[in-house]
Amino acid sequence: MSIQAGLRRRFDGTYPVDEWGLDRDLVELMSPLVGLRWATDARGVEHLSADGPAVLVFNRRFGLSEPFVLARGVRLAADRPVRFVGAPDIAPVGPALRRFGAVLGSHAEVAGLLRAGHLVGIPLERAVRHRHKAGRLPVEALAAALDAAAPVVPVALVGREVTRRWVVAVGEPLSPSGQGPLAEVELAEAVRRAVQDLLDEALPAPRWPL
Amino acid sequence: MKGMRVVVSGMGGELGTRVTNLLEAHPGVEAVMGIDLDPPRRRIPRATFHRVDPRDRRRVVPLVEGFAPTAVVHLGVYEPNARSAPATAAALTEAAAVNVLGAAARCRTLDRIVVRSGLEVYGRARGAPIRPDEHVETRPTCAFGRSLQRVEHVASAAARQAGVPAARLRLATVVGPHVPSPLGRYLRLPVVPIGAWSALPFSLLHQEDAAAACVRALETGADGALNVVGPGAVTADQAVRLGGRVPVPVIGPGWLVARMAAELFGAPLPDHVRELLVRGRCGDGARARAVLGFEPAQSTTDVVHQLYEWAEVVQLDPAHRDVA
Repeated sequence: MSIQAGLRRRFDGTYPVDEWGLDRDLVELMSPLVGLRWATDARGVEHLSADGPAVLVFNRRFGLSEPFVLARGVRLAADRPVRFVGAPDIAPVGPALRRFGAVLGSHAEVAGLLRAGHLVGIPLERAVRHRHKAGRLPVEALAAALDAAAPVVPVALVGREVTRRWVVAVGEPLSPSGQGPLAEVELAEAVRRAVQDLLDEALPAPRWPL
Repeated sequence: MKGMRVVVSGMGGELGTRVTNLLEAHPGVEAVMGIDLDPPRRRIPRATFHRVDPRDRRRVVPLVEGFAPTAVVHLGVYEPNARSAPATAAALTEAAAVNVLGAAARCRTLDRIVVRSGLEVYGRARGAPIRPDEHVETRPTCAFGRSLQRVEHVASAAARQAGVPAARLRLATVVGPHVPSPLGRYLRLPVVPIGAWSALPFSLLHQEDAAAACVRALETGADGALNVVGPGAVTADQAVRLGGRVPVPVIGPGWLVARMAAELFGAPLPDHVRELLVRGRCGDGARARAVLGFEPAQSTTDVVHQLYEWAEVVQLDPAHRDVA
């Protein structure tokens, strides 16, 4: 898409916006600028199917870059948009973030996205002090995935806020083993462990663990 | 579905008239009777129409009971600022639901109910999903949404009393060049105030799809809530630009001025329309597709395009009066 055609579509209103507010034209228009901030190297994207729903569980340190890195990495490598939860439902931040794929973290919103066959990124809890550690995953975070019987894919994001290069390592999908509270807990633990394994592969063990 | 006797409340609306025409042409329908405050908007060759105020219980109840309906299609839902002021619209909606559905529930012949509701019943409070399915709890945040919720409650109570299924069709906002609707009038202003930085997407429904969904729900005898939504979505900014109008971003108290200015130009802005423009309103229509076996043919973008397709005003030359 040429910049001229993109701008023309914005003026005419003929650009596509989906029901959750994702504006693919804007994402493409901004892509060269965003590329100046984040350069992503995605590995293991063959684990993502060409269509159909999935929950991508990813680690985060401060949580500022990670959602955008995940969305950009998967979009460039697999040509699929990723919705990441955590948008505040307050203008102007919420609607602006929605244009780039952010959605609310509520069960109803995530369940709706999965029913419609989208990829949804759900972060682990922040691990600010330990870059090489995957945080916990709240048990209720995967309830929508279990309801929709959607595969859960671990993703490790390796990079630093102050540098540009990030690695997006996608692991093998885990399928829910059944329904019920125990299945949720087991799945949450399994996916956290899988993210940790991916991090261990991508990051050498620190010489002086903090 | 043979020999159906159908009461259509709200026959004077665009949707009511269209549904009536479809039922008249339906081989399974024996008779159609309509009730409304306004007359039908087109010819109704087979149906009978009674111009009655739905608030007039003494006339409405005997009419419905005397007809001995096998089905009720309750479209007597009056949108604020569409054809009545907000307070009148709320009173008409409430009275029409209670009187028509209440009377129908007493008829032993009744075997199904179809009710027009809307996506407004879900509400757009903070944290509410923008594209709810039918499992999401209804928490309306505008007057029209509360009216619709009341209609749904009345319909459920009537269905329980009669022991029949009640399809509650939660329609996305219906607009079109001939549909009296506050959203349609507002979007056709030459300069349209919209929320600056806060416009979330909304979905619309074509009037033909809305009418087809009502008839399909009647045929299938569907039960429960069903979202009927046109595919796709647009934001307010996009809709205004698609119509070649000028969007004017507004924030906070600017809405007071915008609302007054719009009203002066004949396009009052009720709270449910402002909510749609600022907070967005979509719906998951998967259940309706599965239950009714029906998918709206016109996308939201098509509906917006058609909204702006007014027939040009043709100035007749006085020398050719015979043309008229």
